[in-house]
Amino acid sequence: MNAEQPAGMGPSAPPPPPASPPPPAAPPPPPESSSPSQFAGSSPFSGPPPTDFAVATRGLVKSYGRHPALVGLDISVPRGRVYGFLGPNGSGKTTALRLLTGLIRPNAGAIWLFGQPYSWHDRKRLFKVGSLIETPSFYPYLSGRENLLVLGATGPATAPGRIEQVLEYVGMSGRAGDAVQTYSLGMKQRLGIAAAMLSDPDLLLLDEPANGLDPGGIVAMRETLRYFTAQLGKTVVLSSHQLHETQLLADVVGIIDRGRLIREGDLDRLLQDSGRVRVRVAPDEMPRAAEVIKRLAPDRQLYGIDSGADAGWFTVGMAPGRASELNQALGAVGIYASGLEPGSDLESLFLELTAGGPAVQPSAR
Amino acid sequence: MRLVRAELLKARRRAATMVIFIVAVVITGAIYLLAGSALGGISCQFTGDCLIEFPAAYAIADQLVFGLGGLLVVVYAAAFVGADWNWGVLRNVIARGESRVNYLLGKAVALAILIAIAELVLFLFCIVMTYVAGALYGIQVASPLRGNGLEDFVASLVLGYPVLLERAAIGFAVAVILRSQLAGAVVGVVLFVGEAIITTVLTAFTLAGTLSRGGFGGGLPSIGPEWFQFLPISLGGEILNAAPGNASGLGSGSLEGLFLQSVPLEQALAGTLIYLVVATVIALAALNRQEIV
Repeated sequence: MNAEQPAGMGPSAPPPPPASPPPPAAPPPPPESSSPSQFAGSSPFSGPPPTDFAVATRGLVKSYGRHPALVGLDISVPRGRVYGFLGPNGSGKTTALRLLTGLIRPNAGAIWLFGQPYSWHDRKRLFKVGSLIETPSFYPYLSGRENLLVLGATGPATAPGRIEQVLEYVGMSGRAGDAVQTYSLGMKQRLGIAAAMLSDPDLLLLDEPANGLDPGGIVAMRETLRYFTAQLGKTVVLSSHQLHETQLLADVVGIIDRGRLIREGDLDRLLQDSGRVRVRVAPDEMPRAAEVIKRLAPDRQLYGIDSGADAGWFTVGMAPGRASELNQALGAVGIYASGLEPGSDLESLFLELTAGGPAVQPSAR
Repeated sequence: MRLVRAELLKARRRAATMVIFIVAVVITGAIYLLAGSALGGISCQFTGDCLIEFPAAYAIADQLVFGLGGLLVVVYAAAFVGADWNWGVLRNVIARGESRVNYLLGKAVALAILIAIAELVLFLFCIVMTYVAGALYGIQVASPLRGNGLEDFVASLVLGYPVLLERAAIGFAVAVILRSQLAGAVVGVVLFVGEAIITTVLTAFTLAGTLSRGGFGGGLPSIGPEWFQFLPISLGGEILNAAPGNASGLGSGSLEGLFLQSVPLEQALAGTLIYLVVATVIALAALNRQEIV
C-alpha cells in the first residue's frame, strides 16, 4: 500500500497512517441574523450564489405526495471538511441526499455543487460525487469485485487498478471474490464505501456509513475519511445517528428537523456557544447531583449520561461563568466533580434542538 | 459497449438465466419425446408425413422456440431489468451520473444478444432432439437439409427473432413501469396468456357470426384479417404462421391461425417492429421520469 493511502478497515489491515486533521479554519463570524447557519448570507434569494461551498442548497422543498419531506432546506457544506448531517428519523436527511444525487427532483429550491448550479439533468456533475445512500445495495450473486466492476462500467470511467485500490482501502481485498450474499452487514457497508470511492470523488455523501461496522471498522473508517479530507482536500457529508462518532469526525455540523435546518456551523463553536456546562460526577451520585443541579438551573433542560464510558456526565443549561457556582453547590452536599468544563456535547445539543430526547433524568441505581 | 459487457456479465452469473434456459430445454426435450412416441407415429401412419421428419420437424421447432420461448422471454426480460429495482442497485447507477437512457439501452442490447444466443442454441437442440426421438421410436427423420430445409431453418431464425424481441420488450417495459421483476414477470405472462385467450374467444365469435350469416360458402374460411390479429402477441403469431417451417399447416397452433386469413408477412413484421420500438421507448420514458427511492 502506498504510504499516502489510508489503511483498510479490516482487522487484518495495517493501521492507517496518522492522518493529521485539517488545519482548523478561521472561525466563521457569528450569525448576524436569526439564520440558524453560521454560513448564512449566501442565499440566492438575498445575495450572491453560494459558490464557495462544496454543496449548498437554498429553499429546497420536496414532498412525497401530500407528505412534506423538506420545507425549505438551506445547508452549506464547506469544501475540504467533514460535514455531519444530523436529524431525527424522518427529518429529511435521506431525501436531501437523494436530491443531491439526482435520484429525485425537488419541488422548489436550488442546489449548488462545487459552486455551480445543479439540476436533475446535470448528471455528469455527479461524476465527482460518490455516495452511499440508505443501505448498501449490490447484486447478491456477484462477488464484491464483480459488483464494483459492473458499477465501474457506469458513470465516469474507472481508472485501471482503482477497484483493487478501493477494496484495499476498506479492508475487503480478502473477501472480494466471494458472493455478496455471503457478506455480513458490516462487510456490505465496507463494500458500499468502496463503491462510493470508486470514481475518486471530490465529494462523498455517506448515509449512516458506520451502520453494522465493528469497532475496529468504525475507527478505520474514521481514519479513512479524515485522510480524504485532511490529505486529499476532499469533502465528506456524513449523515448519521451516531452522535458520538459524528462528534469525533465532523468539523462542521448541520442539524435538521422536520425538513428544515435548525442549526449549522463549526462543531467546536456550536458546542462552546451552547450556554452549557458539563460536569462529571460518580455514576452512583447522579440522582443526588441531579437534584442539586436542577435547583441551580431550574428552567433549563438537564442531560445526563448514566451508562457507558461517559457515565456520570451532566450537561447543564447555564452560563459557563457559573461553573464554579455549580462546583461549589455540589461540594456542599458532598459530591465532588471529577470533571468540569464549559460547552456541551453533540448529543445534548442535538436533543435540545430537536426536542427529541427526554429531559434526561439519570436513572436511580 | 462497457454497459453491454457489464450486463452480459450480470446475466451470465445470474441463476435465473440458466434456470429459464434449462426449463426451455427440458420442456422441449419432453415434447420431442412425446411427439416421437405418439404424434410422430400417428401422423406417419395416417398422413404419411411425420411430424418429426424434416422438413416438417421445423414446425415443432418453431412452436417450441417461438411459442414456449416467447413466453419465457417475457418472464426473463422482466427479471433481467426488474431486478435493479428489487436489489436497489439502480440507485447506485443513477447516483454515479450514468445516463438513464444509455443504461436501459445497454440492458436492452445485452438482452437482445442473449435472446439471439438462446434462440440459436434451442433451435439446434430441437434438431438434435429430432434425431434422438427418431432413433428412439424408429422413425426416419431424413436430413435437415432435405428440400428447403436449410433455407427454412435460416428463415425461421430470422423471422422469429423480432417476435422474441417484441415479446421481451413487453416484459421489459412492464417491469420498468412497475419497478419490480416479479410484478413485471407476472403481468407480462398475464398479458401474454390473456391476449391469447381474448383472441381465441374473439375468433370464435367471429366464426360464429360468419356461420350465422350463411357460413363460408362451402369453402375454407376466407374471413379476416381481423383487428385482434394485430394485437402485440397475436401479431407475432402471424409472423410464425408465415415461417417456412410452418408449411405443414400447423400455423401458430392457434384458432385464428387455422380459421382466419393471415396478416400479410410485411404488415406483421412492420407491426411487430413498431410494438418493439414503442415498448422500448415507453420503458425509456418511464425510467427517465421515475424518482428512485
